[in-house]
Amino acid sequence: MSTITLLFSIFLLTLLMITTMAIVRTRNLFVAVMLMGIASLLIAASFFLLDAADVALTEAAVGAGISTVLFLGALALTSERERSPSSLPLLSLGIVAIVALIVIYATFDQPPLGSPSAPVQAHLTPWYIESTRELIDIPNVVTAVLASFRGYDTLGEVIVVFTAGVGVLFLLGTGASASAAGAPLSEDNAGLRHYLIPRILGRLLIPFILLLGFYVQFHGEYSPGGGFQAGAIVAASIILYSLLEGEQRALLVIPQGVLLAMMVGGVLLYGAVGVAGLVLGGNFLDYSVLDSDPVKGQQWGILLIEIGIGITVAGVLISIFHAFASRGAA
Amino acid sequence: MYYAVIVATLVTMALALLRAVRGPTVYDRVLAVNMFGTKTVLLLAALAFVFGRPDFLDLVLVYALINFIGVFAVLEFFRNRATRAGERQPAQHE
Repeated sequence: MSTITLLFSIFLLTLLMITTMAIVRTRNLFVAVMLMGIASLLIAASFFLLDAADVALTEAAVGAGISTVLFLGALALTSERERSPSSLPLLSLGIVAIVALIVIYATFDQPPLGSPSAPVQAHLTPWYIESTRELIDIPNVVTAVLASFRGYDTLGEVIVVFTAGVGVLFLLGTGASASAAGAPLSEDNAGLRHYLIPRILGRLLIPFILLLGFYVQFHGEYSPGGGFQAGAIVAASIILYSLLEGEQRALLVIPQGVLLAMMVGGVLLYGAVGVAGLVLGGNFLDYSVLDSDPVKGQQWGILLIEIGIGITVAGVLISIFHAFASRGAA
Repeated sequence: MYYAVIVATLVTMALALLRAVRGPTVYDRVLAVNMFGTKTVLLLAALAFVFGRPDFLDLVLVYALINFIGVFAVLEFFRNRATRAGERQPAQHE
């Protein structure tokens, strides 16, 4: 990393520290939500400076639209002022200070950050970089590691996303019961439909956002991106549609049942690819046996499981949004 | 040249952050966050060219296309709250 990049990094991290201190200090939750948006942008820029484009893209796809929307949805259900802090602030400070000291002490045994002689750089990383070309033959090593070499971990991640979605739906309800119970939102009053400029411009942009989502999905083997990011971007376009046209319209386009099927279907697709490897005589999540050419098989497997990830992430995010929005409207 | 652009953008980001933290009204903060997003797009675009990795521009595209959704959510939030305050008002008079 050159000196100038280092200076940029330090500057961005200083801004990030100022932002987080302001988030902690403010008692107004709306202000906190706005500042969280800035924090997300700063984190994405820092990841970008560290050459971690895939992670930065994830932060961008989630932080740019969806997290603000979900925070505001939650804020609509509660009050805007934070309650005064709990008692015993000194005890909390003491515990945090002790934990921080222990963590700092533990880092003394770590190899220096980014040192080329660290064990992880000496064995695993070169192996990934060399074998990706030979075994999978795709340019984006991150996608190869995420989807193939460490496919188990990613399957676990997708199941975590799915579980989180199911948990939120259990707490807030799917929204179907609220509309059936006779709280019909008057159609004219829904969304930002009366505001002509946002509506026209927003509707113009929706197809392009969807296109970008599919590009990130299917181009993830060549450039930063993949299922997680694409799912978030597609979900953002649907959320934009329901902000503009109102909840009910959006639920007519993609009904709740379809969303639930997406949540489950993506995880099942991922698992099915793994089982297909077993049936064809390989290991679980070993894609080499999916095609007569092992390299082709790996590429097929990565493509399929990325689609599964994208479907689940989009389904979960849209469902969570509807759960919050229908709660706020009722 | 790119470095001049980056430094100027960083200064603007710091100023926008100052406005977002200081306030004083909600609309100052909303505008500041929106501007911060735009400056991030510029910063990342300039950085992508400095690094010689124009394929990283995908990230910039994501921000350019979906960063405004949060502002719409803010509008919707205030509209909802105004509607609800309006509903509550007549109830108090009765």
